Amino acid sequence: MALQVNINDILSQLYQNRSAIEFLFANRENVTVNELLSRGDLSSEQYQKLKSLDLIYEYENIVSLNDAVVAMFEDFMEIGEVTPGFINDYLNELNRHIKFYQEVRELRFLRSIKKYLKRINSTITREIIKLQKNVDDTYKNESNYRIKLQKLEDYRVKRDTIIDFIKRTGEVVEEARTLFNLTNDTELYGIIQSLKGSLIENLDFLIEIQTDITDFINKIQFQLDVYKKAQKLKEIKDHGALHFKTNFNEIVNSVNTIRYNGHKSPRTKIAVDFLYTDDGHVLCKRVAEKYKLTRLMVRGLADKMQGNFKDKGLEQQIKLDTQKLVDRFLAQTKTNLFEYLMEYKFPKSIGTVTFEERLSLFVEIAMEYQTIMDFKYRLQYYDYEDNEKKKKRLGYTLILPMKEKDKKKKEVKQEG
Amino acid sequence: MDMLPEDYSLPKQTHDIFAIMARGNFISSNGTRDGMNRLYDIINNPENFDRLQAYFNVIRYNIERGNNYFYFSKLSEPNSELEKKLERFERYIDIIDLLASMDNKITIGSRFRPTEIAEECNANVRLKQKLQKIPLYRSETLHNKVREICDLMSRDSYLELEDEKTESYKVLDSYTYLLDVINSIAIYEDTTGGSDDAQGLIYN
Repeated sequence: MALQVNINDILSQLYQNRSAIEFLFANRENVTVNELLSRGDLSSEQYQKLKSLDLIYEYENIVSLNDAVVAMFEDFMEIGEVTPGFINDYLNELNRHIKFYQEVRELRFLRSIKKYLKRINSTITREIIKLQKNVDDTYKNESNYRIKLQKLEDYRVKRDTIIDFIKRTGEVVEEARTLFNLTNDTELYGIIQSLKGSLIENLDFLIEIQTDITDFINKIQFQLDVYKKAQKLKEIKDHGALHFKTNFNEIVNSVNTIRYNGHKSPRTKIAVDFLYTDDGHVLCKRVAEKYKLTRLMVRGLADKMQGNFKDKGLEQQIKLDTQKLVDRFLAQTKTNLFEYLMEYKFPKSIGTVTFEERLSLFVEIAMEYQTIMDFKYRLQYYDYEDNEKKKKRLGYTLILPMKEKDKKKKEVKQEG
Repeated sequence: MDMLPEDYSLPKQTHDIFAIMARGNFISSNGTRDGMNRLYDIINNPENFDRLQAYFNVIRYNIERGNNYFYFSKLSEPNSELEKKLERFERYIDIIDLLASMDNKITIGSRFRPTEIAEECNANVRLKQKLQKIPLYRSETLHNKVREICDLMSRDSYLELEDEKTESYKVLDSYTYLLDVINSIAIYEDTTGGSDDAQGLIYN
């Protein structure tokens, strides 16, 4: 960057436009200027400012973050693409700076040495993790067996390359030991110690990877060999000699997976209680649909309770409080029970009470309170219009509130 | 035997594992349906493995370990249904023989579509005959025959239908089991001098 900039400027610009920067970092390949500006978190003024600081580039209407910025993020998050070539570059740089430092013991060269030692350490480790993952992935997921074999062979080569780098790094560090000792720099000492440790560890990993690769290649080879054998067996089978010229029966007999041994997967009966639950009902319904059984489909699921179900419950209570109704009826003497109910003004909260409802209330009260009412066993008639506007006449028993003396009489009778 | 399930400190996926394996299916490390690879990792964890093994052994199931797959066998139960087993594996010899003769041979991790196999069979008389001669399938077209084979192999959990739309199958690790069985069949020395390359050899 040839421009006169300071860290403060860069940081504040990056921070101010962090959502746009984040977007650009996530979509490194193809963001157009319009796309970026239409996101609304970056004004064209801010855009120009970022461009003037060289934090972003624009080329043929495509915007991209400055490579240095991208590299910084990638390095920091350890997500960037690494290749063994990187390690090679770092090694060369390291050698170069060691030479410089031998010439002039200046701190700036020492700083670079530290930088490259750290980079080598992290890159080798990342490279190995990547290799391990790729090997595993290739064996388990690569579709074409020829490509699979080729890829595994390639990984074997790659592994050798990395081992070579580890050796070279070890040599460089060893050669420069006296030089490093002279620096008396504790940080450098720490870096080298951790590098040495991870080099040894990484060698172990690589040996393991090698075993994996060999193992996988052998497995693929094995599969191909078995194919040849299967063809051979097929030929024998076609000659009708499978049971005689091979130990097919014996081997198949020894197959122990439960799948091929007529093992039925364990089935348990469903608990009857469960069938009464909503889940159980869903199950019943499915069975009913499958076997076209209407009997099982009758019972429906309860609907979802309405939000005001509590209020409704209250209404129901008012409706059912017949005791008070009866008390009021008993307190008067003018009308009989039937007329009383027909004309009774129910509280508004209940809403309209239909003729049928009043009728059932009459029956209910007559049955429940018969001991405290005076049944006249005489019919009276009531004229009304039904739903279809037809004139109808209803006969009902005359029921009156019991008079005081009758009441007593009745009580005596019951006692007697 | 009077241990309680919680005494084993079993993984919470124990039921899922049982549900799959008790149906006679394999759990493969490269299966993706129903989180199969995760279940594999859980069984593969040595601590879990010992606990699950102890637990299932109580109900006489034994976890068997293969190359990147697991399955159940029954403890102390004589293997049965030999007739059916023989029939099944005879059919598998037909199927594997067909797959072995394909240009692009499937191995663990391979992905393929039934149409690809059907097309190759259609273009090659030898393969076409092989496919048509595989018994027990009623389907008429080559494509449907291959489909039925894939279906059978999926039910035996050697394959996984990875994408229903494109009808793409993936070969699971458990496929090794099938190949292992075939590989362990020994061919006796042919003293009568039948076919040329079988002479005096034991393939094993």
